[in-house]
This record gives sequence, structure tokens and C-alpha cells, in this order.
Amino acid sequence: MLGRGLLKGMRVTLKSFFNKKETLQYPEKKLPMPARFRGGELDLDTKKCIACGLCSMACPNHVIELTTGTNEAKKRYLKSYVYHSGLCLYCNFCVEACPTNAICWDKNYENSRYFQEDLDVDCLAIAEQKDTLKGRDDG
Amino acid sequence: MQEITSLFQIAKILRELLGRFLPDEQLVDFCMSLINIGAIFMIISLTAVVLVYAERKVSAFMQRRSGPNRVGPKGTLQSVADMIKLMAKEDIMPTGADKWMWMLAPMLLFIPAAAVFVVFPFDDKAIFADLNIGIFYFIAISAQSVLPFLMAGWASNNKYSLVGGMRTVAQMLSYEVPMVLSILGIVMLVGSMRMSSIVAAQEQVWFIFLQPIAFVVYVITATAEINRAPFDLVEGESELVAGPFTEYTGMRWALFFLAEYANLLAVSAIATTLFLGGWNGPWFPGWVWFFLKVGGMIFLFMWFRWTFPRLRIDQLMAFGWKMLLPLALVNVIVTGIGMYIYNFFS
Amino acid sequence: MVKTETYTLNMGPQHPSTHGVLQVVLELDGELVIQAVPHMGYLHRGIEKLAESRTYAQFIPYTDRLDYVSSMGNNWGYCQTVEKLMGITVPERAEYLRIIMTELNRIASHLIFMGSLAIDLGASTGMMFGFRSRERILDLFDMACGARQTYSYIRFGGVSADIPPEFIPELERFLADFPAMLAEYHELLTGNEILYHRLKGTGVISGQRALEIGLTGPALRASGVAYDIRKVEPYGIYDHFDFSVPLGQVGDCWDRYIVRMEEMKQSASIARQALDQMPEGQVMAKIPKVIKPPVGDVYHSIENPRGELGFYIVSDGSTKPYRLHVRRPSFINLQVLNETCQGLLIGDVVAVLATLDSLMGEVDC
Repeated sequence: MLGRGLLKGMRVTLKSFFNKKETLQYPEKKLPMPARFRGGELDLDTKKCIACGLCSMACPNHVIELTTGTNEAKKRYLKSYVYHSGLCLYCNFCVEACPTNAICWDKNYENSRYFQEDLDVDCLAIAEQKDTLKGRDDG
Repeated sequence: MQEITSLFQIAKILRELLGRFLPDEQLVDFCMSLINIGAIFMIISLTAVVLVYAERKVSAFMQRRSGPNRVGPKGTLQSVADMIKLMAKEDIMPTGADKWMWMLAPMLLFIPAAAVFVVFPFDDKAIFADLNIGIFYFIAISAQSVLPFLMAGWASNNKYSLVGGMRTVAQMLSYEVPMVLSILGIVMLVGSMRMSSIVAAQEQVWFIFLQPIAFVVYVITATAEINRAPFDLVEGESELVAGPFTEYTGMRWALFFLAEYANLLAVSAIATTLFLGGWNGPWFPGWVWFFLKVGGMIFLFMWFRWTFPRLRIDQLMAFGWKMLLPLALVNVIVTGIGMYIYNFFS
Repeated sequence: MVKTETYTLNMGPQHPSTHGVLQVVLELDGELVIQAVPHMGYLHRGIEKLAESRTYAQFIPYTDRLDYVSSMGNNWGYCQTVEKLMGITVPERAEYLRIIMTELNRIASHLIFMGSLAIDLGASTGMMFGFRSRERILDLFDMACGARQTYSYIRFGGVSADIPPEFIPELERFLADFPAMLAEYHELLTGNEILYHRLKGTGVISGQRALEIGLTGPALRASGVAYDIRKVEPYGIYDHFDFSVPLGQVGDCWDRYIVRMEEMKQSASIARQALDQMPEGQVMAKIPKVIKPPVGDVYHSIENPRGELGFYIVSDGSTKPYRLHVRRPSFINLQVLNETCQGLLIGDVVAVLATLDSLMGEVDC
């Protein structure tokens, strides 16, 4: 019969009309991100970091800028650590390159900014602020 | 129940009320006409607002989405928000556009869409003007909506709009002919063009059972007349951006949009009157049945839009002239023969 | 005699249906196309030049962004080229994982093709349906490597990490649901007479012409030429699997559409077989810390969803390539647009562009 294909197509859309809806009511409900999700900003753990600079060398796009210094005990320590999130490709090479698992993703994908300067994240300052807050809570 | 709440009774009550305050009989008639015009305009604007929301919800449900559900309870105030946004937009006129033609086109499109509402039988004896050429008036006025598309397309000084305008004229003119012929079958059965007699003749059996081919032809040609998918290549978004409407913004574009939805209501109302028995129906008042049937037809048109892809221009012309026109003619012939045999045996 | 003139219509870079930023300058006589000249380069990012200042491993995220819809395939092509240059062998489990990921990516890419074709021709419901199924595949990839579109999952010597334990049950669920989804799409789109008449008979490319111009992928197979690199020169472990390569007869838009729909079915069957046969083991071979390939050049190509993706690397012995060239299938397939569209109507140009399935990220590189 001429037009049978059209009628079958109409039946598909009608069935779809009564089916469950796939919409997620964001921002009231948010989808959980899987464990390996690469997104947000880098979360630096200063206690684990040995200031080797491997993350900066592995990065394809010169996103991580770090400066190191040596203290009196001839041990290297981190002086500054800036993560240029605007240049980042989210390729995960830095996280994989770190020998001590000092950096990981903070998985916060709602991190848009109004000004371009705010895209440069000072990970060391954030880590130190978190440490002082934790110190205040513990002590 | 039909007696108490029919529109005729409501009109009688209003008339008595006015008669007490106004001295002259003719003044009462004049006031009643103004109330009727106001009611019709209210129906058109309410329809446009409701249909925009209904279209978005129907399309969303068919695509397993939720549609608008933030503005107002369940998203019902979405159309109001859209209207406010459109009114606040900047009014841009393209340079080199033919100023008066360009500005008049949306208004000239809206006027026929609104003017055809005078012959719709909403209820028993509830027609604004029960002309004895009722259906002929509808065909004549709705044919006027071809010209504003061409005006918009030409006056916009834009190649996309011109191509869109040319396509519209070709499409709408080609599909007028089968539409008129499909309506002709109904007129032959009833013997009169008056809308109220057409509805009255369907008290026993609806004409959709007596004229199924005419119904199919009418639905297809009506979809083409109101430029909806699968015949929406006039504004084929993925080919010509927006066709004749490309250069219109803000309230002007809103007028085009409103006219499109008023047209949708108009052809659904005609389909209900001619094929689905108008306001006939048990238990409920006539106008409730009328709007239920019109709602069903509107759902059918929306269902078509969200399922089918678009036709190409040459396929559209071939389909209209080579398939629908002979089909409508055959329907007229068969109706004539059928009527002769029926009269011969009774 | 009435004198008529042709006019130029610009389907500009910003257009709802040119699959990205492509400008097609149409010369029209009424509605008939006389010339359809594509102008590209609006998305050029200099990826081949960037490769000369990145080490081999650092270039992997850039290959993701060539044909951004089939990133697994791009990664695999590049990694196999470097492995060929350095003589690295990949462990079995990694080979099976690579195949599963690439075939799932093929399904996802063809679903995008189907969705864009539907919405270009006016049936917007088709696009929503296609993208809904694609979400399930993207969720699988998200579970395995943490990204939904630019994976960098396939690395030199294997894959970056083994799949998490919840991956396999989810994959089995998807493979069980997929035939029903495909049947729904066939009912909505393939059976539709309007779609059939839009696509049948338009944009015919003969097999002979396709071979002359260098067309590859489903467009070539729709023209009747049985050339699929997975069968002709199997790479990876494709010779372990039993699958057929769908062919078309005429080479019109309808054949290109049907070939891709059938390929989705075949990809699901390959993924099923790979899942059944996959052994346990390592997922990464022992490779040197610093990748310094020997001096020389190499060319290697794989069958991407859009055609033959090839990488040509010239190495001068250092850690960065001397020259890297990508043979991009969408770029070469796009050449055929002008001669195919001559004599068609505007609506057909949209259909031909949609069925050639060019992705601008790959065309412009």
C-alpha cells in the first residue's frame, strides 16, 4: 500500500509520545560523574609533591608553569604552581606522569569565569588555603 | 444540558442584559456585534498562545524530552515570556528593502487569517455571519495569503528570501486547486454552501465516512497551504535559513508566526466542520465538541510535522498536480454517480 | 528569446546544515545548480605544523581533535604508525580493547551521520533518537577513560588503562539493546517514502569515478567498489573476526545511507565477538621512556568511519617528528561535491553533503 512506510513512522512517534522522558532537570538533579572523569581544575596535594616537574614536561601545551627551589636540606620544594586552564586539553598526561599521584582532577565542571585572567589557577595557593583551613578544623 | 449551556442561550442572556440598559433595539444589535468581534479576536490570540506551547510540548514528547517546564506551572507561561522577548527586540530593516511592501507584508498575512473566522460554526446558531456562500468565502479569503509571502520575499532584498518567496507562490497556488475540488464533493452532498446546513446535514453520519478520499486530499492540501512539514520548504530551515521571513525580527516576525498558527486553527476548524460533524455530539454542549475535534485535528497536523522529512520542490509540484488533482477529480465524479444512484433508488 | 542569468547564492560558513564551517558557493539557474564550489579553511588550526614542535607522545591529544567524532580511530591510526616505525608489538588484551573501542566509536559516528541527515531533511525527531543512543556509547567511554569525545585512550604499545569492572556488564546491556534501537530507526527513517524519494537517484557517483578521485570509506563502498582496509590489509587483529562489508550498487545518496546503517549492525557484531574472545593480560607493552624512532619514514592507514585515515611520518631520529602529514578522508571526499551537485536542485545539495559525511575538523586539520 502506498504510504505504509509513512504510517509506520507515525506509529513510532506516537509510541515515543507516551514513553518515559529522558530529560534531566539540571541544576536540581545532576548526573554523577564516573571515577575517571577528567574535568575541572587540577587539585594539588603539596604533601605528596616532590617538585620533579614531570607534569610540566609531559604537558603538550605548556599549561603547567612551576618554579622550584632547594632548601637547606638539599631537598627540592615547590615555589609556585600555576595551571592555565584556558590552554588545557584535558588529556590527562600530567596526572599519569606524576610519580607520587600528587595531582588529580577536582571534577568540578561548573568553573566558567567572567575574566580571562581568572582562568590561570594558582594551585599552590589553593592547596595552602585548604591546609590552613584543615589545620584550623583539626586544632 | 446542551440546551442550557449552548452559546445561543448565553447570547440570549447577554442580549436581555443589554436590552435593560440600552433604549434602542439596533443599539443592542450593534453592541452584540462588537462583543462577537471581541470574542473572535480573543479566540485567535488565545489560540496562538496556546498552540505555541502545545507545539513545543508535543514535539518534545515525541522526541522523549520534556519541553518547556520552567516558566510558570509546567511551563504554561512560556509563550508569554516569548512574546515579551520578541517585543523587546531591536527592529532592523535591511538597506535597500522596499520599505512599504516590506512593512505591510506581515499585516497583510495576518488579516486573511483572522477574517476567515467569521464563518466558523462554533455552536448551533453561533456563527458570526451565516453567509449563504460560507465555504466559498473561506476559500476566497484564504487564497489571499499567497501574496504577502511574495511581498516579503521580494521586498527583503535578499536572495534567500526571494527563492523562498517564489517557492511559496508555486506551492500554495498548486495546492489550492485540489483543496477546492475536495471541498466540492461535500458541497455536492449537502446541496448548499452555507456552513450551518453542512453541519446540520451531518447529524446522522459524519462526512468523513462518506467522503474518505476527500478527507485525505483535504488534509494533505491543508498541510501544504499552511506551510507545515512535510511541505515546509518555504521556510526550510536547513536549506534557506528562514525563506521569506529571514529579514524580519521582533514583533514583525511574531506576526508571521501568529498568522501561521491562526491558519492552522482555521484549516482544522474547516476540517471539523466539513468532515467531522462540526458541533454535533451527545451530552456536552456543542462548542465543547467543536473544540475537542479541532484539537484532534491540530494534534494530527503536529504529528505530521515531527515525523516526516521535507519534500523537494519538484517532487512537491509533481505530487500536487499529478497525484492529488486527479484523485480529487475522481472523487467528484464518484460522488456525482453515487448521488444519482442513491436518488434513483429512493 | 528570453535571456536568463544565473545568480550566486552563498551557503555561508554559518548555515544550519553544512556540518561545520563550510562555505559552498552555489551558482544557480532558478533552482538548478550549475556550480557548487566548496570553500574550506575556516577551521584550520595548523595541527600538522604543531606536530613538528611536540614529541610523539604529546601529539596524541591533537589527533583526537582531527575528526572529533571518531577520536578512537584517529588515536589508533597514529599509534599504529609510530609502532610500525619503532617495531613495537602490542599485547593481546590491548588489541581486543582497541577493537571494541573503535567499533563502538564507529557506531557512534554513524549515529551522528544518521541524525544530521534526518535533521537536514526536516525530520528532527530522527536526530533526537540517534543522539539518545549515542549517549549510551559515550557513557561507556566516559567510564573507561574519563572523556566523552576526545579520548586519548589508545597509546603507544597498548591502551592507557584497563577497563573498570562495571564496563563489561554495561557493554553487554548496550549490545543487547542495540538491535531494537536500530529496528526503530529503520522504521522511522528507512521505511519512510518521502526520505526514500529524496535520496534515491540523487548524487550518483560511479565506481570508476570514485576510484579516480580517491574516494574512500562508505561513499566508495556505496558505489560498488569492495575496498575496506579491514578486509584488504587487516591491521590489529581484524582477521580474527567474522564480519561482512556492505556494498551498494548505484552510488546514490540512498546507497550511502543504507551502507552506513548496515555497517552499524556489523560493528555491533564485531564488538560482541571481541567481547567474547577477549583474554586476560596486560594492556601496555614495555616501551622505552623516551620515544626516539629510527631515521626513516612510514605511512600507515586504517579504516575510519569516514574513510581511509592515513598518517605519514618522517623521522630524523630525534624525539619530535620532522614532518607529519595526515591523509584525511573527509578532505579528499569533499572534492567530489562540485561535479556531483551539477544539475541537481538546492535540496539535493544538502542531501549530498549530508551523505558524503564530511567533518570540518578533519577537512581543515
